[in-house]
Amino acid sequence: MMQFSIPRSSLKKYQTWLETHGLMIVIAVLSVVSIVSFIFYFQNGLGLAYNDARSHLDIGRRVVEGLKPGLAQLGSVWLPLPHLLMVLTIWNDFMWHSGLAGAIVSMVSFVATGALIYLFLKHLEVGIFGRFLGVAVFAANINVLYLQSTAMTELLLLATMTAGVYYLLRWHKEDNVLFLIKAAFWIMLSTLVRYDGWFLLAFSSAIITLYVWKKKGFKTTEGIVILFCTLAGFGVFLWLLWNQLIFKDALYFAFGPYSARSQQIQLEQAGVLATKGDWLISLKIYFYALAYNSGAFTLLLGTIGMIMLWLDKKVKPAMRWASIILITPFLFNVLALYLGHSVLFIQGLSGDTWFNARYGVMLMPSLAIFIGYLVQRARLMRLVIVGLLAFTIFFSFSSHDAVTIDDARVGSSQKNVSEVSGWLAKNAKYEKGFILISAASHDAIIFSSSLPMKKFIHEGTGAYWESATINPDKLARWIIMRTYSEDDSVYRLTKDTPGIKRYDLVASYPFADIYQLKDQYLPYLITDQIYYK
Amino acid sequence: MANGVYDKTLRLIYMKIFNLKIIHSSLGTALIILFCTVVLAFGLRGLPGNPTADDLNAPSWKDSGPLELSPERGRFALLYSLIEDGSLQFSLPIARFATPDLGITPDGHYVSLFAPAVSFVVMPGYIIGKFFGASQVGTFAVIALFAIFNVLLIRAIAIRLGADKIAAAIGALIFLFATPAFTYAVTLYQHHISVFIILLSIYLLIRWNNFWSLASIWLLIALSAAIDNPNVIFMAPIGLYAAAKMFIINKEPAKINIRFRKKALVALIGALVPIVLFLWFNQASHGNPLKLSGTLASVKEIDASGSPMTPPLADNPSKAFDPVQKGKSAIGFFETRDLLNGFYIHLFSPDRGIIFYAPVILLGLWGFLFLLSANKTAGNILIAVGGAVFLLYSMWGDPWGGWAFGSRYMIPFYAILAIGLSFVIARWKNNYLFIIIFLPLLAYSVWVNTMGAITSSRNPPQVEVLALEKLSGREEKYTFARNLQYLDGNDSKSFVFQQYGKNIMNARQYHWTLTVIIFACLLGLIVWYALVKHKDSSL
Repeated sequence: MMQFSIPRSSLKKYQTWLETHGLMIVIAVLSVVSIVSFIFYFQNGLGLAYNDARSHLDIGRRVVEGLKPGLAQLGSVWLPLPHLLMVLTIWNDFMWHSGLAGAIVSMVSFVATGALIYLFLKHLEVGIFGRFLGVAVFAANINVLYLQSTAMTELLLLATMTAGVYYLLRWHKEDNVLFLIKAAFWIMLSTLVRYDGWFLLAFSSAIITLYVWKKKGFKTTEGIVILFCTLAGFGVFLWLLWNQLIFKDALYFAFGPYSARSQQIQLEQAGVLATKGDWLISLKIYFYALAYNSGAFTLLLGTIGMIMLWLDKKVKPAMRWASIILITPFLFNVLALYLGHSVLFIQGLSGDTWFNARYGVMLMPSLAIFIGYLVQRARLMRLVIVGLLAFTIFFSFSSHDAVTIDDARVGSSQKNVSEVSGWLAKNAKYEKGFILISAASHDAIIFSSSLPMKKFIHEGTGAYWESATINPDKLARWIIMRTYSEDDSVYRLTKDTPGIKRYDLVASYPFADIYQLKDQYLPYLITDQIYYK
Repeated sequence: MANGVYDKTLRLIYMKIFNLKIIHSSLGTALIILFCTVVLAFGLRGLPGNPTADDLNAPSWKDSGPLELSPERGRFALLYSLIEDGSLQFSLPIARFATPDLGITPDGHYVSLFAPAVSFVVMPGYIIGKFFGASQVGTFAVIALFAIFNVLLIRAIAIRLGADKIAAAIGALIFLFATPAFTYAVTLYQHHISVFIILLSIYLLIRWNNFWSLASIWLLIALSAAIDNPNVIFMAPIGLYAAAKMFIINKEPAKINIRFRKKALVALIGALVPIVLFLWFNQASHGNPLKLSGTLASVKEIDASGSPMTPPLADNPSKAFDPVQKGKSAIGFFETRDLLNGFYIHLFSPDRGIIFYAPVILLGLWGFLFLLSANKTAGNILIAVGGAVFLLYSMWGDPWGGWAFGSRYMIPFYAILAIGLSFVIARWKNNYLFIIIFLPLLAYSVWVNTMGAITSSRNPPQVEVLALEKLSGREEKYTFARNLQYLDGNDSKSFVFQQYGKNIMNARQYHWTLTVIIFACLLGLIVWYALVKHKDSSL
């Protein structure tokens, strides 16, 4: 019989070492996981499967390169923070076309969110095992891993929201106003990533108000809420101001022609916005999105953990109260679906397609925290819970169960524009002349063509756009548009111009047609940059 | 006061009677065996005779007979082929009989698509049955025998973990007669043998800790894969715990001593025999020792010339039989995307859900709260095995188990819940609220599952019903209402009913008689247990 002994002092030392370096271990391991995951999806070509990922990269690129570069290129379709962060690296062609400029933001956010889960659990007085498990639940989610490898905005939103909620927890726990300010800062950043952050701002303000009012009365509440909202709401204010300055309408992002609302109006007219005005369908659709993204078993355990946390009298009531904010994404998404401000298609429930199914990933940090807590409380069953979780996670990888990839590849989010972009890359790359195209409709083509941004005349190019949509034959050698589609602004604006007759239809593809200026008009074509304002 | 004295006297009389050892421990076991044997004998499906390969293709043996579904036929086909033809590969009539779950080897031989061990295990039953002129009934009786073993094992495990003996017996009997385990105890399926292996391993694990017990556990783990491939996954927690037994951990104030038992490592040798036999079978059956039968290309139908009909998915017929083209792999059958639907099917759906078929067994969930505090390790193993069964079959592409009665994949899960139920019964036997909930649920569960046992398992899943109605041109039931219809047609597949019962009573009466007998016995046991509160009962 072989035998060896471990002195308890050594065990204690290892435990102390783990406690001291736990956060660093989390950051180091998640960094490696993040890089490996990015390389995996980059190599198999899925990294840019989402049409939106390519559009995000193009927006960032237009800020630094194009016929009219500058901050105004941030536009109003999406909130600006993800694109501003991309600007740091997107000037580099490799960073742009590999998607790394956007993915790197997601990757850093992934690591940060993992670290925040660890810290959150630590402040809930969960032991090292529960903390590591919580982080593992988040990091071993195949949908999280995919989204952190792309230029999408989900991970940045998760990181900023989780940071906001984490500091709110600290504030509830320690009553130190510095934490409230930090929470406000991160929530402010989240309001500049996605509108989910705006709901978080409103919801957390309500939670803070109720908490302080009950504890300290109206006067203190007034001061605390003003302090919190001034910083946390500053992003919203800046966005309204931006829209007013650039588009002459503070609510342009909400009601403009490229807003989500106009998209939803079209869907409603087409009769596919089934969630609007129906709580039950809204709940059902989001529940499925949640279960498909997080995994049904993870969702089940997380829900049990959540209930245990809220009922646990050993946890300070203030902290339990603060932890309610963790379910904000659920409330927001169901409400947005009910109000018709959001659209989400689940295959099998919404016909045979996916759309925005990735919204279900928004509760992953919360579920990870709840499960970490559950493992702490259910000590008797700790190993079983871990084993069964590992069991389902193994099968999620073995069955390649990433609903976000399906959402990107087979759903309405994808566009196989390789034929159009391939034609452009082949025929326009070494020829002089601009390409007139609607970025709102065909950003994916711009990205996939690998041509420099300054080759394209689009809605954000000011005078070029205005001139080219009146006299296309003067500025555009090629026109990319979806013929007969009034949604395509190039078609809508050029269809009645005399110049359009000077083009030949040279290629026709599912998503767009390619028109080329006839050779006899080439001598009159402007091929150099002429407007510098 | 007078009442108190009367109660005491009554209890004393009871105790005197029991102390007379009317029910001795072994007698108690014998009574349980007797009761189970009698009831199972009344439920056992079958027809008299020793059918030939051609007979087996007749509807009286297939759809309207005891071999109504392909899982039964596939296993019976291999059994028949082994005994009557002396071959692992099927003759044409046997291949036709085994469709639509028929495998084909790369060189064109028809073979079984199912894990083979069940067919080997039931061989004695076939031979004995053949001797008495009822080969199929003898075969099915072997499964019933395993069902009885399972009742004894559930009882033994529950007692070992601290449940009262009578409570353990009640829990065990509920497993067999108040869940779909009853239906699958009277026909030829793998489930009861799988449950037997799981329970026996758990019992060995908690009862002994020596070389022989560990070697037996490894043997059972290896054997389980040959009974039904997914078993090896459910056995993983048991294997992990057995592996942990290779170490003896001794905690001292200053240090922790860890001793490695070389003998426990040598016990792994127990797995060798089943593994070697399994590899041999795969080699002999389809020419690849490492390929599981279930991953072979399947043949749904055979044409008049004896060739396989081309499955519709293949443009190129040669690809139709290529499992790679069809995406078949051992773990490829399980998808986490299906979990949500699987949860619904197994728990809440009207066609398979436990809520509809065996609600009483769900009370066993509470038992794990008591069990965990009584024996953390064993509780964890049971939860891990039960959880693995539930999760794995919720990920399965066909959680309905094809055409079936109730959720047949959950039979190991019911067995584990039955252990928990023993603890619940022991704890709450005098809680009126519990009794008010428990007894009606028990009566309902016995009624439903007795019906399943004596009628048919050919219940389509709800998702197939619309297509089925188009074909049949009539309303198709998919819950146990289909079995009620069957009874209303005065039909029962019970061998006893077919041979003797139908001359005395109709199928409905036969069902009610069995239900009342089972429920009355269970009720008597519960009432007796609640009244006596006999801590040291000898049952």
